[in-house]
Amino acid sequence: MIVKSFNLVLSILIATSLVILQETMSNLFWLISVDMPISIGIFFLTYLDNLMSMNLSGAIPLIALVAIGFLIAYSVAKIILIWIKVSRSYAYALAGAVAILAIVLLMPLAFYNLDILAGGRSILGKSILTFFGLISGYYFGASLDKQRAT
Amino acid sequence: MIKKINIILLSLFTSLLAIANNADYKYLTIAENLSHPWGIAVIDKDNILFTELSGQLRIIENGVLNPEPIKGIPEVLFAGQGGLSGIILDPEFNSNKTIYLSFSSPDKEKKTNTLEVIRAKLTSGSIDQIETIFKASPSRRTAAHYGAKMAFLEDGTLLITSGDGFNYRESAQYLDNHYGKIIRINSDGSIPRDNPFLGNKDARPEIWSYGHRNLQGIVVVDGIVYENEHGPMGGDELNIAEPSKNYGWPAITYGKDYSGATISPFTEKEGMEQPIKYWVPSIAPSGMTYYTGSLFPEWTNSLFVSALVPGDVRRLEVSGNIVTEEEILFNDLGRIRDVASSPDGSIILATDGPNGKLIRVIKK
Repeated sequence: MIVKSFNLVLSILIATSLVILQETMSNLFWLISVDMPISIGIFFLTYLDNLMSMNLSGAIPLIALVAIGFLIAYSVAKIILIWIKVSRSYAYALAGAVAILAIVLLMPLAFYNLDILAGGRSILGKSILTFFGLISGYYFGASLDKQRAT
Repeated sequence: MIKKINIILLSLFTSLLAIANNADYKYLTIAENLSHPWGIAVIDKDNILFTELSGQLRIIENGVLNPEPIKGIPEVLFAGQGGLSGIILDPEFNSNKTIYLSFSSPDKEKKTNTLEVIRAKLTSGSIDQIETIFKASPSRRTAAHYGAKMAFLEDGTLLITSGDGFNYRESAQYLDNHYGKIIRINSDGSIPRDNPFLGNKDARPEIWSYGHRNLQGIVVVDGIVYENEHGPMGGDELNIAEPSKNYGWPAITYGKDYSGATISPFTEKEGMEQPIKYWVPSIAPSGMTYYTGSLFPEWTNSLFVSALVPGDVRRLEVSGNIVTEEEILFNDLGRIRDVASSPDGSIILATDGPNGKLIRVIKK
């Protein structure tokens, strides 16, 4: 149970960190395109700052949003796995992807089509974020498989 | 760098000067139960036009609210920050009865909307001879950040603030669109021949200045254009706007995104203008007026900026491009959507929300 909870938290942290990485890169790449002097140092400082502020001082703490999304999606995946026999890794990967996709698609509906996660405004951005959800979910599913095997 | 330090020190200094209101004034409610009052145009001391975001143009006649909204208003998209927004009287209103209205205009087929400005004649109880004189392009999917405030320059041309549409913030840095711009047109919608980007084939000819976010207040004082704009989380700005200038959004900003993310780690860059004042945390500046009345002589020649958060009016004294004093007034009314000066020296306030009020500030 403790290991499972740890892996759940870790998958949430992985997803949150990757979403913030994408947000940071999306903003900084555009700044580079308009000749703003972005160095490696600025990139890392901005990423670290975003890790703190997007989780602690944003209008909606990202980690809480991801946690809610993952808890719902993983619960549904767990129920589905009772009837459908597929690899847990794939099932939870799909759940993670759906959770992040739901966040980026549903949040604008609540805010008059405003994308609060600026990195998720484009189709490419949404796809990358969904892929990060998939990776995080896959990690969680794989950890469950590994735990079961041992 | 020195400029930045000066601005920070000045902000601290003016914040220290900010004091709770203790002036000799009282409130007089002119109208209440209003549906999101948004823009005010004072005809004379007893007659006031104002917009309700939900799509009504209303009039106070001889000091009393006419219960019937003015007829003939085009359909508006009333959603989010969209609706019937800005209003301004023609400089020759007394003789030509012409008004200008800005609003979010829906395109139901494409499920988009855009900022539109019309010119119309005000007749008894309605408007007619409606002409569209500006429509922002491209259209947007979002219902936020329209700007939609207007002011006349001394040469008779009309400035229109056009917000960045929230999702399209980067467009504010490009001249091929109307997001995040101040627009300058003639009062019939034609393009003034001296607009700064008229000869630039990659630019929209209506653009006067760019790099703005969500401009909610604009006034012209002795040829100087003051505009205020909402920053994101922090970084609300008061700027002196000039033709062809780039005000930096979102390449430079004093604010952060609502998600908490850094939009830009930079607050200044060569070729981009600095605000004469910025607010961190945000005050959500809405309307703005320049007070020249004599009813409150201690306030004469001050800028008044209404604010939604926490809800007050900032009286600013400006000398050159420096804000020398900031005083917090009317902080017991809640969110204030607009502020206007009346010819009798009183100040008109519009409180925000579905049960908004129009309030006149007079001497005790």
